[in-house]
Amino acid sequence: MPRDEKNISDKIDHLFRYEYGKLVSVLTKTFGTSNIELAEDVVQEAMLEALNKWTYSGVPENPVGWIYRVAKFKAVNILNKEKYKRQYASNVVHHLQSEWTLEPALEHIFTDKEIADDQLRMIFTCCHPSISSDSQIALTLKTLCGFSIPEIAKAFLTNEENINKRLVRARKTIKDADIPFLVPVGKELEERLSNVLETIYLLFNEGYNSTSGDSMIRFELCEEAIRLAEIIASNPTIKSSNTYALLALMTFNTSRFNSRIDEFDNLLDLEHQERNKWDNELIKKGLYYLEFAATQDEVSIYHILATISAHHCTALTYESTDWIGILSLYDMLIEIDKSPIILLNRAVVLSKTGSPKKALKQLTKIKDNPAFRSYIPYYTTKAELHFQNNAPKMAIKTLNELLKLPFDEKFKPLINNKLRKYSERN
Amino acid sequence: MIFIKTKGDHLAELSPEEQQAHVQKIGKYIGGLMESGKLKGAQPLEMDGAIIHGNKGVFKDGPFNESKEVIVGYFHIVAENLEEAIEIAKANPMFDDAEATIEVRPIKQMDGIN
Repeated sequence: MPRDEKNISDKIDHLFRYEYGKLVSVLTKTFGTSNIELAEDVVQEAMLEALNKWTYSGVPENPVGWIYRVAKFKAVNILNKEKYKRQYASNVVHHLQSEWTLEPALEHIFTDKEIADDQLRMIFTCCHPSISSDSQIALTLKTLCGFSIPEIAKAFLTNEENINKRLVRARKTIKDADIPFLVPVGKELEERLSNVLETIYLLFNEGYNSTSGDSMIRFELCEEAIRLAEIIASNPTIKSSNTYALLALMTFNTSRFNSRIDEFDNLLDLEHQERNKWDNELIKKGLYYLEFAATQDEVSIYHILATISAHHCTALTYESTDWIGILSLYDMLIEIDKSPIILLNRAVVLSKTGSPKKALKQLTKIKDNPAFRSYIPYYTTKAELHFQNNAPKMAIKTLNELLKLPFDEKFKPLINNKLRKYSERN
Repeated sequence: MIFIKTKGDHLAELSPEEQQAHVQKIGKYIGGLMESGKLKGAQPLEMDGAIIHGNKGVFKDGPFNESKEVIVGYFHIVAENLEEAIEIAKANPMFDDAEATIEVRPIKQMDGIN
């Protein structure tokens, strides 16, 4: 396909991302989970058909409806082909071939309620624990969020071939493990839901921890993570305080999007962000979610992280941040999980409550952790703590250690700024 | 977009100061839940085998505000600017019986292709 056309088709794919996810979900139910790729192909073809037709005759009044019709028609054709019939093990097909004729049955399958439920089933299918974590995310982005392979590759700073491998692996696992297209119930739902939430959380982090790549795509990763959590939260049969806590956490962090970068493209820390640029509507929404999560008589790591974010978002000024309150939440976190990353962040809070010395002492406990060898925040945190502790020499030494490591060029100016600041006091 | 309405919508009316006080209460409340053993899913986030910027890492990174935003800005995104609005309002008791209802609104409306 020539380049220009490819761009247009990417555009269409992207414009219809949400519809894509819905359609793939519905067709996965129709064809069975071992045929996810077929479902994707049908949707893809319907979109291409749209592209070709609309290029000549203009966009119809209801483009979404148009694409749905085409996809439905293609599905009917496939299901009617005798040679395929045995391949589709889904209950739906069995149903289609007995009680009703195909087309009215498909009409029913395409009702809004069914589509919403199918998206939920699709989330649980894509996030099945038998699929590896990075494959889960790739498959979710591809099938539910309608991201193209190049977009996923960009988001994960890897090449298309890698993403393709992950997708192939994920589909194969679904086939081999014969994963049903269902939302689990009872005890199993609890376990599976925690896996789903973790995948959504990782997806959000990919966007939030953006260090490079296409910022638009990064932003959309965060949006998608929120959208998926909302699909789960809006299902009345799944009672989960954790889903709401995770939603709150993501919503609070999204509320500061507009303020984390200044007009010269500099990254801004919390102290220097313009708080009037924070999105109040989102902060309020985060508070609703958090309130709801907290009143369900359950608590999880998400509840605690969300409350920490809520503290930052509701402090009118940086100076009025309630560090004591935040520290008590970090103390709860380390009761659950003493991971080095949590200890590192807790150290920052300790320094804010007036004890940079104590904070540095905490850092020595985790200094030998191999995970920190190339973790930028570890070095910048340590340097800043030394600086606050009136040891600018140590701060400079720490940053020089960091400069020897391979890291994203984009951080260079930031690190140099810090170095300048520390040198002035040296 | 989902929106939970708690009874009386008391959160919408909080002033910024009241919001902060409200969060402090929630923090204490959650601490109480922890103490009474309401922790659900002992470790929903195992800190291993995760992806840090596309590499296999040894722990799960997360949107921790402290090391990422207190120490150093970490994000690189420009989004639309949305209006700020908050009403000064009357205090409301926290944690009334929240009879939550959910409204669902689309996040994005597609109007076809331009």
